[in-house]
Amino acid sequence: MVEMGHFALILALALSLVQSLVPLYGAHKGDARLMAVGGPVTVTGFAMIALSFAVLTMAYVQSDFSLVNVWENSHSLKPMIYKITGTWGNHEGSMLLWVLILSFFGALVAAFGGNLPATLRANVLAVQGWVGTAFLLFILITSNPFARLVPAPIEGKDLNPILQDMGLAIHPPLLYLGYVGFSVCFSFAVAALIEGRIDAAWARWVRPWTLAAWVFLTGGIAMGSYWAYYELGWGGFWFWDPVENASFMPWLAGTALLHSAIVMEKRSALKIWTLLLAILTFSLSLLGTFLVRSGVLTSVHAFASDPSRGVFILCILTLFIGGSLALFALRASTLTAGGIFHPISREGALVLNNLFLTTATATVLIGTLYPLVVEALFGEKISVGEPFFNLTFGPLMIPLLVVVPFGPLLAWKRGDVTAVAQRLMFAFGAALLVVLVTYLFIDGASVFAALGAGLAAWLVLGALTDLALKAGIGNVAPKVALSRFLGLPRSVFGTSLAHLGLGLTLLGIVGVLSFQKEAILVMKPGQVLEISGHQLRFNGLSPMRGPNFTEDQGRFSLLGANGQPFAEIVSSKRFYPVRQMPTTEAGIKTMGLSQLYVSLGDETGDGSVVVRVWWKPLVTLIWGGTLVMMLGGFVSLLDRRLRVGAPARRKSGQAKPSPVAA
Amino acid sequence: MLFWVIAAVLTLGASLAVLLPLTRQAEGEADNSHDLEVYRDQLGEVDKDAARGLIAPSDADLARAEIARRIIKFDAEDAPRSKGGSQLASRLVGVVAVLAIPVLSWSVYTVIGSPDVPSQPLSARLSQKPADTSIDELIARAEAHLVANPSDGRGWDVLAPVYLRMGRADDAITAYRNAIRIEGTTAAREAGLGEAIAGSSGGIVTADARMAFEASLKLEPANPKARYFLALALAQEGKLAEAAIVWRQLSDSLPPDSPWRPVTEQAVAQAEGRTAPANEMAGGPGPNQGDIDAAASMSAGDRTAMIEGMVATLDEKLRQNPRDPEGWLRLVRSYQVLGKTDLAQDALGRAYAALGRDSEDGRKLTELAGSLGLKVTE
Amino acid sequence: MTRKQKRLSVIAGALAFLGAATALTFYALGQKASYFYMPGDLQTATLEPGQRIRLGGLVENGSIVRGQGTQVEFGVTDSEKAVKVRYTGILPDLFREGQGVITEGSFGSDGEFVADSVLAKHDENYMPKEVADSMKAKGIWQETTQ
Repeated sequence: MVEMGHFALILALALSLVQSLVPLYGAHKGDARLMAVGGPVTVTGFAMIALSFAVLTMAYVQSDFSLVNVWENSHSLKPMIYKITGTWGNHEGSMLLWVLILSFFGALVAAFGGNLPATLRANVLAVQGWVGTAFLLFILITSNPFARLVPAPIEGKDLNPILQDMGLAIHPPLLYLGYVGFSVCFSFAVAALIEGRIDAAWARWVRPWTLAAWVFLTGGIAMGSYWAYYELGWGGFWFWDPVENASFMPWLAGTALLHSAIVMEKRSALKIWTLLLAILTFSLSLLGTFLVRSGVLTSVHAFASDPSRGVFILCILTLFIGGSLALFALRASTLTAGGIFHPISREGALVLNNLFLTTATATVLIGTLYPLVVEALFGEKISVGEPFFNLTFGPLMIPLLVVVPFGPLLAWKRGDVTAVAQRLMFAFGAALLVVLVTYLFIDGASVFAALGAGLAAWLVLGALTDLALKAGIGNVAPKVALSRFLGLPRSVFGTSLAHLGLGLTLLGIVGVLSFQKEAILVMKPGQVLEISGHQLRFNGLSPMRGPNFTEDQGRFSLLGANGQPFAEIVSSKRFYPVRQMPTTEAGIKTMGLSQLYVSLGDETGDGSVVVRVWWKPLVTLIWGGTLVMMLGGFVSLLDRRLRVGAPARRKSGQAKPSPVAA
Repeated sequence: MLFWVIAAVLTLGASLAVLLPLTRQAEGEADNSHDLEVYRDQLGEVDKDAARGLIAPSDADLARAEIARRIIKFDAEDAPRSKGGSQLASRLVGVVAVLAIPVLSWSVYTVIGSPDVPSQPLSARLSQKPADTSIDELIARAEAHLVANPSDGRGWDVLAPVYLRMGRADDAITAYRNAIRIEGTTAAREAGLGEAIAGSSGGIVTADARMAFEASLKLEPANPKARYFLALALAQEGKLAEAAIVWRQLSDSLPPDSPWRPVTEQAVAQAEGRTAPANEMAGGPGPNQGDIDAAASMSAGDRTAMIEGMVATLDEKLRQNPRDPEGWLRLVRSYQVLGKTDLAQDALGRAYAALGRDSEDGRKLTELAGSLGLKVTE
Repeated sequence: MTRKQKRLSVIAGALAFLGAATALTFYALGQKASYFYMPGDLQTATLEPGQRIRLGGLVENGSIVRGQGTQVEFGVTDSEKAVKVRYTGILPDLFREGQGVITEGSFGSDGEFVADSVLAKHDENYMPKEVADSMKAKGIWQETTQ
């Protein structure tokens, strides 16, 4: 029943409108019944959108080409898994997924927001309702996935082959969980502005939401990066492409928000700033959606786009960003400012973190939007790429990374930076050793590579030092230390893991950028290439057939010291006849933390083929590190005190030397 | 019908989600209790941590003191904010909200929905009885089969003329080539390939097409299609007289019931009338050379039904949009070719009525009618 | 220092930091942004040798010449003028004659454009936005879909 999905979507719009207005009016008038409408309406709206999404997925599974959307993006021969993931592998479906996640988060607030003040809850749900209404209107007016096609064609046009991939199946939902997760923070911020006050319960709620959204967004970005790495066949993991920047900006701002929310939760300080960051982070998520969906920017992996959609999203963008910032300007002065603190303190370190992260966000924003502005003003077309970001983003990140290990060790309110430096002596010495060893003993290591490796080691060891010190290892008997270690709040583990993961990612980046080896050559069958001590033999090309593609598989063997093959690598060029589109499937062999990456080019006619081979040392750490960061966020989210919501031990500050607090 | 029932149930559910909370007595909990609860939780945490030895007792006291300060400060704030609006306004808002759900959803759906279009899962469509399925669906089945078994030459052989008939000349070329590659060359396949190539180049018998026809003639010197098209090639080069000779020979050698006879005779007539025969290969509406030819490979009953169906479609089209001189020419010719002189005569009459007898188009009609032996009455 | 002074000094520090970051950003934009040209624009443009630009257009028909090993030469044209481009490496999957491409690199001393990256988007209808806009502006290319 395809039309049922369509109808449910329209019902969701009606519910969303009620959700936007009735609780808000109720909160304004203090009418408990009107406020109580918010919860059930939100949950029902979620059920409707979920039904609608299920119907669309079913249409994909059954290849119902009487839907324009299915016809344009599916094919009866597509493997089942890609029929399902194809539901959100296109513009309309992905927007439906967007509102599904939005309404899901709304429903979570409604279901578990029982311990929120009724007016706050009503206002939060109303703001969620506005966002939902705007996007439902957008879907129904410009990108309706339920548009019908009569008579129905008998075969579809197939999904863009590069999207037929597990990486891309997982990437958008994760990314959206992140983007949309920040909408909850946004709604809380706007609700606080509407009420003109920040409750204690407000602070208690914002951090877990930020954390959850941040974990998903981290995963989404990492997944997208890994997908681009293996699917585009260029071996790059980050291109500073506008679409990538679009997801990276909310991540940077979200990371800042995560840290300032800690200060607000623990110390009741930085309230107004946190609120502003919450608004900015979601605004950047909306901007990201706009950039990707409108096609205003040229990108290697943008979907097909349509200007009318761009204009609509631009209106949504202006309305929400402009509206919320105006409200902020109007109301911020009525909010009571929080506690004060010494510049050298945990709070101070977190402010520094915020300063660097928001500035970095701003440079990425400028680099991404500058071409648009220049084109609009002067009609000149320019592109801003890697060189720009290396020159601006790099210098901002390096000092930030240098001070990261200090932060968790500083005391709240007033810290002693020399004492902390002494505690970090071991980590510092070890990092220095890493620099020297890298520089002296690894071939081809530049000073930058050595310093980079040292910085990564500094981050990793700094994070471990934090844990060791908090457990009292070395100060107390091992047994006590162990029990103290196990008794540490989970948020402490979370912080350490996240910082450790950051160090690992950095190590991976340094490894690839500094020590990567590359060879481009024409290989004949039987020819052996030596790269970084590995013997790679090309065995020849063989044509193969997939379910909806044909491919030429290039088979390679890795030879051991005795000349015997010990591993196979298959790299192929596929051709998808329905879309008349070729793709490259890189052959990747993971060895330890490093990878050998083989990509095929054109055949030269006599059985030889152009081959591009990379040796990528430590490359897996780039994504492995993000997994550790996600784990850190997840562990922190599990913190019991976050669940009961009490903002943790606040050993209230008065120059408290022990750094035990999270 | 089922759809409307489900839609009504969904609407009812959605409306209840708005209505039920409005009818319930909301618990009149004071707002500030939530904040106090947070502070109580915090105090509890401090106690627990102190008990576990995670923080020193003195620190715990400091923490308790700070939380206590907040509680006091909080109490001092004017926490409750109930303004108490008018009961009437609130009730009005409630009623509007409940009504908005069905009114909005049904009116929007009426505008943008398509309740009459059923779901059409592909598997269900493909498992229908062949008799109920359209040609498109039959082709889709054949295509799916050929994607799975691309080396099935018979499949390509069957599909090729069908493509040709549907005007998908490029697909027909591929299919004929595959059939020839797998099943070997025959006169019919080569001639079909030639026709497909000509079709894909807008009816012009190109060098490639000519090669295919010549290959066909080598295998079967009497192949009427190849001979017809080779003559057409001559005509297109301007060698009308030579073309007419070949056509005449062809026409004379054909048995009286051959589908090629009328076509050839018509070509002869036109060639001798010193105009290059209008080639209908380009896939215009109405039965064309390809259709008739495709029909040749069908059973007699099917063939007639197919051709008549196509002519009827054209007739219907012209009834609705009579300003189509080209269409009228086709229709009149088609009826005459099919041997339905009375219908041809009738179509001619209607064509005159639509286009005017003395217009440019009218004169063309008269010319055609003359060549077909129809009466041009006043 | 009073509380107010402290606060002011912190704010002043933050502003100085932001100022430095802004200056760096705009310096970087001036230095590192690469401009986009079509072959026809090059006559009027003043380019220093070695300056990085993006050169966009269509791959000229019949212009792809494979050199030794992995070196490729091809023409990029906007149907006014064509520029020869030299590139070493694997061309993107969708690189074909008549397709829109963007190449990035600089002019060598011999007047040939040496590209270090060649972009063709992963979409079967690819026409890079810059190329499409420029060609539309010149009336050379019309969108086929609507």
